[in-house]
Amino acid sequence: MTQLSPHFFGSLLVPVGQTIGMACAGMLLALVIGIPLAIAVATRAPGARAIAAGLSALRAIPDLTLAILAVVLLGLGPAAGIAALAVFYTAMVGKVSAELLLAAPVPPVDALRATGSGRVGLATFGLIPAMLPDLLSFGMYAFECAMRASIIVGAVGAGGIGTELVGAINALDYARAAAIIVVLVALIAAVDTFGIAVRRYPRTGFVLLAIGVLTLWIDRPQLFALSHAFVTFAKMLPPQLSLPELGALPRLLWETAAIAVVGTALGALLGFAFGLVCARNIVPFAVVALVRRVLDTARAIPEVVWGLILVVSVGIGPLAGILALGLHSGGVLGKLYAEAFENVDRPPVLSIAATGASKLSTVGFAIVPLAWRTLGVHTLFRLEWNVRAAAVVGMIGAGGIGQALFLSQQLFFYKAMAAYVLITWAIVLAFDAFGERARAARLSAEGGRPRRRSGRTRARSRTRSSDRSLCDGSAGTGRFRERPPFEGRAAPSASARRSGARKSRRSASRSMPPNASARYPSRRRTSPVPRAP
Amino acid sequence: MIVLDEVVVRYPGAQRPAVDGASLLVKTGESVALVGPSGSGKTTLLRAINRLVPITSGTILVDGVAVESLQDKALRALRTRLAMIAQHHDLVDRLRVHQNVMAGALGRWSSLHALRYLAFPLRGELDEARNALARVGIAEKLRAPTSALSGGERQRVAIARALVQQPHAILADEPIASLDPELAEQIVALLTTLAKESGIALICSLHQVQFADRYFDQIVRLEGGRLERLKSSVA
Repeated sequence: MTQLSPHFFGSLLVPVGQTIGMACAGMLLALVIGIPLAIAVATRAPGARAIAAGLSALRAIPDLTLAILAVVLLGLGPAAGIAALAVFYTAMVGKVSAELLLAAPVPPVDALRATGSGRVGLATFGLIPAMLPDLLSFGMYAFECAMRASIIVGAVGAGGIGTELVGAINALDYARAAAIIVVLVALIAAVDTFGIAVRRYPRTGFVLLAIGVLTLWIDRPQLFALSHAFVTFAKMLPPQLSLPELGALPRLLWETAAIAVVGTALGALLGFAFGLVCARNIVPFAVVALVRRVLDTARAIPEVVWGLILVVSVGIGPLAGILALGLHSGGVLGKLYAEAFENVDRPPVLSIAATGASKLSTVGFAIVPLAWRTLGVHTLFRLEWNVRAAAVVGMIGAGGIGQALFLSQQLFFYKAMAAYVLITWAIVLAFDAFGERARAARLSAEGGRPRRRSGRTRARSRTRSSDRSLCDGSAGTGRFRERPPFEGRAAPSASARRSGARKSRRSASRSMPPNASARYPSRRRTSPVPRAP
Repeated sequence: MIVLDEVVVRYPGAQRPAVDGASLLVKTGESVALVGPSGSGKTTLLRAINRLVPITSGTILVDGVAVESLQDKALRALRTRLAMIAQHHDLVDRLRVHQNVMAGALGRWSSLHALRYLAFPLRGELDEARNALARVGIAEKLRAPTSALSGGERQRVAIARALVQQPHAILADEPIASLDPELAEQIVALLTTLAKESGIALICSLHQVQFADRYFDQIVRLEGGRLERLKSSVA
């Protein structure tokens, strides 16, 4: 157990510091670039549509794919991680902040406009102050996501504790790897706790910015080694695959899709079983507390880290990917399903219980059917996320297109690598579009629900979907996690998109659809009637 | 037979009791209308009878058994004997009509039997559901999705579920609150007739009192938690 000596933990201080620094620096750059872009979109500056479209498109490249590109362009080390996180979170911050700003209330902004204020004035005196609580809450949420991403980008050589972990596993030093995983889970828990503190005392957030500035300063030589980056980038053009690679492509795509679908199915099964035994209205609190800790742990370990562990234990190939996605998704879905079970409408449950039904019968006849729709929505979101994750876990040896991408990088086949990046991007874009359509179709098929909601609510619902697809919905405790997702989020229709900023703002004063509270009853809803045994 | 003796129900932190010293005797096959304004304690009293709400003092006897002493299996058995029809009929929309109706049988089915029925209902079980629906006049809705039913049909399904429960008594909590007057009278007539035919005691809380005199054996008024007898079965 020499691996667990104080010296060992001391040796992890630098990688842990790098991981935190990468997240802070990446987020700092994302804020510096993303917020002005969001303001440009929200104030309808020239080219706003192009910016919005660009941000949406950029969002679809998985973080680990960006990291592998950054490692090639900037070399091994934290600078690559910072660059990957900066690009990824610029897209996220830009898009989500723009949607939040578009949802700001109209009259104060119109009053400012009437004074002849320019775009910057409108943003700094009107839009941002109006939406500051939402922006801060989202910012902290994004940081928690960035911290998780900062760990996993290390897996492809972008520095930090992720790189240490891969090193330990490659050296077959499993005791050291296990110790690093413990440190990693503790780090994620610490970030979540810090997130709560920042929400309560926003000024503590400046510490993160200071760390970001310091990290950027330390890594500036690598970050600005642009000539090397341009030369390498030129080697990727034009992206192309050889004939044997093209022949293998259908199998790779099939494998990636299978990892995503089967992994989600496994996660849904695990989530369903664990969700039932950690819903407070089904089992005693002691059991709930115990099972929730299990789910927290499964969720705290990112898919890539699960993948690293499983590649060692079950071998390289799609099975490791499926299990990795299944275990992590089981943790995420278990928590979301349990919340869905807890939030079901109580009167029908009471009426079934009043027939003298057993607990299990009540679950089967009332709680599960009542929660079914919500479970479906969560699972669909998860599938969307898992397509991304399936492409990503391949890079650590779990099969599919990610594995081909990683191999081509390792063998310096840059043209093939660029082609695989483009293919990954296309797959994720296609699945995002498919998810949007599936939700819209589901919504119109079920009928009777509003296809359009008020600007502010619409922005929030989109925010949530983006944060889910970007950070996998497993992080944090803030506002962006506490609310259940809006069921069946409608794809913004063409007319809604055309209607633009003013319409969104005009409707922002109606903050919730009239029947929203009925559909999303508060988790803390209590009945005035004391519970009988 | 249901006997209430000086029943008091006080919610934690409430200034005055929701039910304050209610006494009532309901014989087998007898129907009682419980009338009174909103918030007068009607729902609380009905929930106290099948122990969904604990009583503070007094006694409730159902078939000679004091309900406040019951736990676990005995409590489930009590609830099986007392069918509850709620104000908003409280059906599970995602289930089919026959599944909602056969939920009335859950008290006598094991958990495995119940789960098996959800996936593979047997012919005999479906026949039982069809018969119950036929008694309330909507046998053709057996396999319909519950969400597609009208307000009146939903209330009939809730009554069919109560019948499947083969109860000794039905506790109906404002079953006609959301129905138009014509439909409301149909439902009250159906409920009281079925109860009489099957020898089931019926306690039905009503907001509208216009049908009470015509259809019920006893009428009691609940106001501010206190019971007042308006029509007695003896009279």
